[in-house]
Amino acid sequence: MSTKHPTLVRVPSIVAGTLLSVVPLAASSHAIQLENQVADVRAYLESAPSNKRNRRRQRFLALANKWREDTKWLSSTNEIAMHPAYQAIIGMGQEAIPMIIEDLRKNSGHWYWALKAIAQEDPVHRSERGSINCMKQAWLRWAEQKGILNDVVG
Amino acid sequence: MSSADWLQQLGRFFPALNEQNCQTTSPVDERYNCIAWAADDTEKWWWPDPLEQQYWPQEVPRESSLLAFQLMFQHLGYSSQSDDSLEPNKPKVAIFVDPNQVPTHAARQLPNGNWTSKLGRQNDIEHELVAIEGPAYGKVAIILAKVSNQNAL
Repeated sequence: MSTKHPTLVRVPSIVAGTLLSVVPLAASSHAIQLENQVADVRAYLESAPSNKRNRRRQRFLALANKWREDTKWLSSTNEIAMHPAYQAIIGMGQEAIPMIIEDLRKNSGHWYWALKAIAQEDPVHRSERGSINCMKQAWLRWAEQKGILNDVVG
Repeated sequence: MSSADWLQQLGRFFPALNEQNCQTTSPVDERYNCIAWAADDTEKWWWPDPLEQQYWPQEVPRESSLLAFQLMFQHLGYSSQSDDSLEPNKPKVAIFVDPNQVPTHAARQLPNGNWTSKLGRQNDIEHELVAIEGPAYGKVAIILAKVSNQNAL
């Protein structure tokens, strides 16, 4: 689907609404032009949310890849978590959580600091600290209980 | 990946490593890190992170300082300051620090006098001690030896 930004997208929604209502009544070339513009507006409005999601996802993946590559030789959790790309992901806030959970499920990874920082929760039992597989399972269970894992899988 | 390719990849972080002073001894494994490996644990990631996500002995201060790392290894029986020589029945660990004296890494001496390290989430390697000094891990700050028949503190 084309996602180019039509000129009319910047007009107030009430104007766009008016255009939508007049198009079926018109038959002139001017009306056809309007109809095309309205179709562009409609297509853009319909695609905008998913575009935004895709942009967020692409940004997340770029940051995650950069973080993984730059920190793969490091043992210090402090250094790993303070990497600028990791901090940028934390800065994405709640919207990052489904993407982190998806990445954790597929690739594992040291996402626990970010998850705890964003979610302000910690499902990992004290006795499981540092046990990467147990921590992963604890966070995936948490995500399932919150309905996040279903969103990711769906 | 060939050994040469692998070493080339490492070159940016460990410029002193080469085929003569290093070899990989394990596959990639993200479950444990260098501190765990030095402590003979391949099941956990050890670090005194402030968000308390990783394992750290409760008896030791949870802080990223050289003293805390010394105390942690002392807790495991490495109580005597030493050097990098091979001494029979004296297992040794080396703690690396960055220019700010913040711990970055630990290595453990093998019975043949070489050292073994886990490189972050990557492989274990056998290496000469100073071959991993550089931008990633800084320098060796202290070497501790475990004295025979000594009980852990």
